[in-house]
Amino acid sequence: MENENTAVKAPLEGIEKQATEELIDKTLELYPEKARKKRAPHMSANDPGVEGCTVKSNRKTVPGVMSARGCAYAGAKGVVWGPIRDMTHISHGPVGCGYYSWGTRRNLVEGHQGVDVFSAMQFTSDFQEKDVVYGGDKKLAKICTEVRELFPLAKGISVLSECPVGLIGDDINAVAKKSSSDLGIPVIPCNCEGFRGVSQSLGHHISNDSIRDYVIGTYEFKDEPTDYDIALIGDYNIGGDAWASKKILEELGLNVKAIWTGDGQIEHIAATHQVKLNLIHCYRSMNYMAKVMEERYGIPWMEFNFFGPTKIAASLRAIAARFDQKIQDNAEKIIEKYTPMMQAVIDEYRPRLEGKRALLFVGGLRPRHTIGAYEDLGLEIVGTGYEFAHNDDYDRTYEEMAKGTLIFDDASEIELETWAKEYKVDLVGSGVKEKYVFQKAGIPFRQMHSWDYSGPYHGYDGFPIFARDIDMAINSPTWGLVKAPF
Amino acid sequence: MSETCAVKKVTEITPEEVARVEEWINTEEYRDKNMAREAVVINPAHACQPLGAQLVAHGFEGTLPFVHGSQGCASYYRSALTRHFREPAAAVSSAMTEDGAVFGGQNNLFEGLENAYKLYSPKMMAVFTSCMPEIIGDDLTAFIANARKEGLIPEDFPVPYANTPSFNGTHINGYDTMLKSILSYLAADKKVEGKDNGKLNLIPGFDCNTGNYREYKRLCKEMGIDVTLLADVSESFDSPLDGTYRPYPGGTPLEEAADVLNAHATLSMMLHASKETVKWFKNETEAPVDVMPAPIGVANTDNFLMKLAELFGKEVPESLKAERGRAVDAMTDAHQYLHNKKFAIWGDPDYLAGMISFLLEMGARPYHIICSRGSKKVTKYLQALLDESPYGEGCHIWMNKDLWHLRSLVMTDPVDALIGSSHGKMVARDANIPHIRHGFPVLDRVNLHRVPFIGYQGAINLLTSIANTLLEEVDRTSEDKHFEIMR
Amino acid sequence: MAKKMRQLAIYGKGGIGKSTTTQNTVAGLASLGKKVMIIGCDPKADSTRLMLHAKAQETVMDKVRELGTVEDLELEDVLRSGYGDVKCVESGGPEPGVGCAGRGVITAINFLEEEGAYTPDLDFVFYDVLGDVVCGGFAMPIRENKAQEIYIVVSGEMMAMYAANNICKGIVKYASSGSVRLGGLICNSRNTDKEAELIEALAAKLGTQMIHFVPRDNQVQRAELRRMTVIEYSPDHPQADEYRELARKISENEMLVVPTPLTMDELEDLLLEFGIIEEDDEEIIGKAESA
Repeated sequence: MENENTAVKAPLEGIEKQATEELIDKTLELYPEKARKKRAPHMSANDPGVEGCTVKSNRKTVPGVMSARGCAYAGAKGVVWGPIRDMTHISHGPVGCGYYSWGTRRNLVEGHQGVDVFSAMQFTSDFQEKDVVYGGDKKLAKICTEVRELFPLAKGISVLSECPVGLIGDDINAVAKKSSSDLGIPVIPCNCEGFRGVSQSLGHHISNDSIRDYVIGTYEFKDEPTDYDIALIGDYNIGGDAWASKKILEELGLNVKAIWTGDGQIEHIAATHQVKLNLIHCYRSMNYMAKVMEERYGIPWMEFNFFGPTKIAASLRAIAARFDQKIQDNAEKIIEKYTPMMQAVIDEYRPRLEGKRALLFVGGLRPRHTIGAYEDLGLEIVGTGYEFAHNDDYDRTYEEMAKGTLIFDDASEIELETWAKEYKVDLVGSGVKEKYVFQKAGIPFRQMHSWDYSGPYHGYDGFPIFARDIDMAINSPTWGLVKAPF
Repeated sequence: MSETCAVKKVTEITPEEVARVEEWINTEEYRDKNMAREAVVINPAHACQPLGAQLVAHGFEGTLPFVHGSQGCASYYRSALTRHFREPAAAVSSAMTEDGAVFGGQNNLFEGLENAYKLYSPKMMAVFTSCMPEIIGDDLTAFIANARKEGLIPEDFPVPYANTPSFNGTHINGYDTMLKSILSYLAADKKVEGKDNGKLNLIPGFDCNTGNYREYKRLCKEMGIDVTLLADVSESFDSPLDGTYRPYPGGTPLEEAADVLNAHATLSMMLHASKETVKWFKNETEAPVDVMPAPIGVANTDNFLMKLAELFGKEVPESLKAERGRAVDAMTDAHQYLHNKKFAIWGDPDYLAGMISFLLEMGARPYHIICSRGSKKVTKYLQALLDESPYGEGCHIWMNKDLWHLRSLVMTDPVDALIGSSHGKMVARDANIPHIRHGFPVLDRVNLHRVPFIGYQGAINLLTSIANTLLEEVDRTSEDKHFEIMR
Repeated sequence: MAKKMRQLAIYGKGGIGKSTTTQNTVAGLASLGKKVMIIGCDPKADSTRLMLHAKAQETVMDKVRELGTVEDLELEDVLRSGYGDVKCVESGGPEPGVGCAGRGVITAINFLEEEGAYTPDLDFVFYDVLGDVVCGGFAMPIRENKAQEIYIVVSGEMMAMYAANNICKGIVKYASSGSVRLGGLICNSRNTDKEAELIEALAAKLGTQMIHFVPRDNQVQRAELRRMTVIEYSPDHPQADEYRELARKISENEMLVVPTPLTMDELEDLLLEFGIIEEDDEEIIGKAESA
């Protein structure tokens, strides 16, 4: 495998910093003056050597542009809470928010829906005018009682507030506290109204805070702690990702005591303060609690990357380095075992994908974490950006990208279109709202939030699937039919 | 909280507990408890108003849907439509945040209108609201007037707007309010005394089947009637892939929409999804304005065509008579597979009305009918349909019940199959019965939105998918000795 | 041609006597043969009790809460007919401190519009609105196509005048984008010094008029004890004449203006001039009693 974690990426042919800057100027010309000023700091030609953050992020979305962003509720329900399988998650407010986020994140779980797991169900308080005018606290208390009775195996309830709840000043925290003591299970309030913050990101943070205030440290594992106990943080088991990751970590000799929050169990999450190391995949959505656990319980954390064999191998070695020789030996054994299998995958697909160019625009970790997997297949990433990142995400991104490539924040659809056309990309990896825009334009596309109903993409189980999917997206014979012969 | 609670040990749910509850939730005892719940809604079959408003907006030429509210709301509606149609759904928002909640959303709306106008060059922007501006009481009339005064959008640029609070009604109300708003905006001063443009205004209602829209147009053409199909999303959500992305691939031409008050007649195919719009038409024009059930099934299609014939003084042509004959032929050929079979259906009131009629026509029984948000009037309306047929006897309308209620109903009082959106698939799996994907949204099958279910051809399509699904089930579940070549 | 329905909103500081004044005025209009509807836009729901001889009529929001949804509500559930055939509706809403009373006003008015409560035979619709425009919901009655005339109930007390000035600021905002105008100040006398002159002066500065000075009279309270307006309780009493006069003036009023609110300094100058407040003694500002 080439480009083994080289410090500075080799430049991409035809991608120059100045040309990219000109492209940015051209893109900004699309906007009226005020919006242009607002958008300008959010895109930059990459120059990894240069100090300081060059792409501004985590700012308010410019009104009237087609942003891909969601809201704090989306971050709380869709990302952090939704995947926890053994709780009922109440979308507290009008019906829509819960309805639109129902089952759309593909967080797979073990169990029987409605019996011992509830993640594919939609619980809503379905607010009516009267609930807004008179307040919804009494209704919420009743909801908790009803849910407790109908779903006796549920280990807890999360209350995820939607905009009206915060606007009318309902006190869900008080209701949750009382319901919790009345019902004998944790009822966890999460004030994640969609108008808070500028994107999903604040929803992650608020949810982390709820876990800090109401969950962590409230349970202990049955078994005696060992030196190999770890937690897998920021893996949401999209299409089975967490299972693929867990498999490798177990092969390494580690005990995955809890997963946050893919296929998650609330009591395991609550006992995570007992582990020896927190491994973070999605830094953006879970760094808050990793830091809390470090401060409060002295648990170190580290980031890793399980996309594509190059990054997996590097991550395995880095993780193993935190443990004893036995684990380190295991890491080498695993790498040795899987390398030929992964090479076979690369040998099959790389010839068809070599030199193809991709533009990425996704969420928490993928704009940087998936780059290695694409590169393993011979693709080049000409631009990458995040919907809702912060400075620390960009700091982690510059070095993953070649000089002169485009790095951007909260892109609007019209910007993405412009760039995809200008770079003549062979693939766009982004979300469902963007997918058909590019396909209509004849540009292959994969949904990189939901793995386009495929997956897993994590780990050694995931890479062959990823490779197959990228190949079929780019090389589907249907693309040959786009232009009519007449 | 951590200091008040003693630290407990993690426990796993045992297989025995799972088995016990698995059994319990299928019992009548559980059903009674479940049916008695008053507060929580679990797995609803309705969305909120803005979704319907956005669908309408996509149905007009060059129109950019504009959500006044958080950008997260817009993302949700766009995703919901895109997932169902597998097509782009271009829309923008005013991206309101906490400061907007305190100071009102005028500044956000100003900026949004200015930017969207410049960036996406729409011919019209249709503004509708999500929760926040509705609660803080933003005054859209004033805001938009002010935006014109400030020169952010041209004086004559159409910006109809609708208040679509998510905590009132469902997506069908949002559809209605937005449609009325667009039409009243465009047509307000375009009525010419004594003018009759000879056309039919057709309101399809909240319908996410692009095939149906095309079918409406075809049926009118066959009848020799010039139709203005309102909120026509047939191109918007079924556009060709030819290498060019078009943000506004179709929709009712604005010029045609502006002329609706001079039409020969207006017909709405969905009573509940067009109340306000119909009321507006009735107030504004002396031309006939009628509401009738969507032409789902033969009788409803007959009535539709006869109504067209009556309104326009036309004969139903031979071609449609032949089409009718083919539908009846198909239905008679297949009646044995559906006769007396029980189905559970769910969805919007008007959609349910059509499905009830069709199933009763086939001698099948719409046994459990779930409408997860509606009024007593809707119940009465649907009950009247059941009362017309012996096959409606013993069928139940479950008003303001959801798909978790449906699960209990199906487990204790079973049906042969489910017909409805993808959200019912868990019920089908637990009950081990087939599930015919239909309605909105369909998230796990492809192209169904392109297959019309209205008109005679639609009846054949509907029948084909239902009958063949049941036959497939016979093959899938029959023992070797009953596994036959012929069915 | 159908006659034009006039829609009026009555604002004013809480406790100033808005509801009493409104109902007596409406009774006055009714006694002049006018068809009127009152819509109470205050969660306290005391805007129609004198018309209905009731403690408080069942409100739109109460009924919505009972039925669960607005869709099941019928107009006859919440529309009552009172003295002089006046149509009465209360929007209703929550106790202070919970929910969103402003939204209750929006819900109620939307419902009334949809259900056809605004019949063409009406001459006047009165909105009796909670003390101050605290959020968009309470401004609902003065939006486009709703009330176009506002009357502010005021007295010679300082806080009442502050409130009146603030309400004028609100009107300016809405007047710039719509056609809402100020019709005048109604002075509901508290028997303060030079009250009429003071309110006349305030009105002049605001660019409007004191449309009527309603003297203080215990007959109003005597009528209220019987849950009646003075006009109904004692039509021949001089106080009834005052309300009929106010009704007539409103009915004939053509002076509709965009007000010119005062700055705080201007308002204080006015109050100083009339001796309502005294010049600040800079010496004593911020000094505790024991200091």
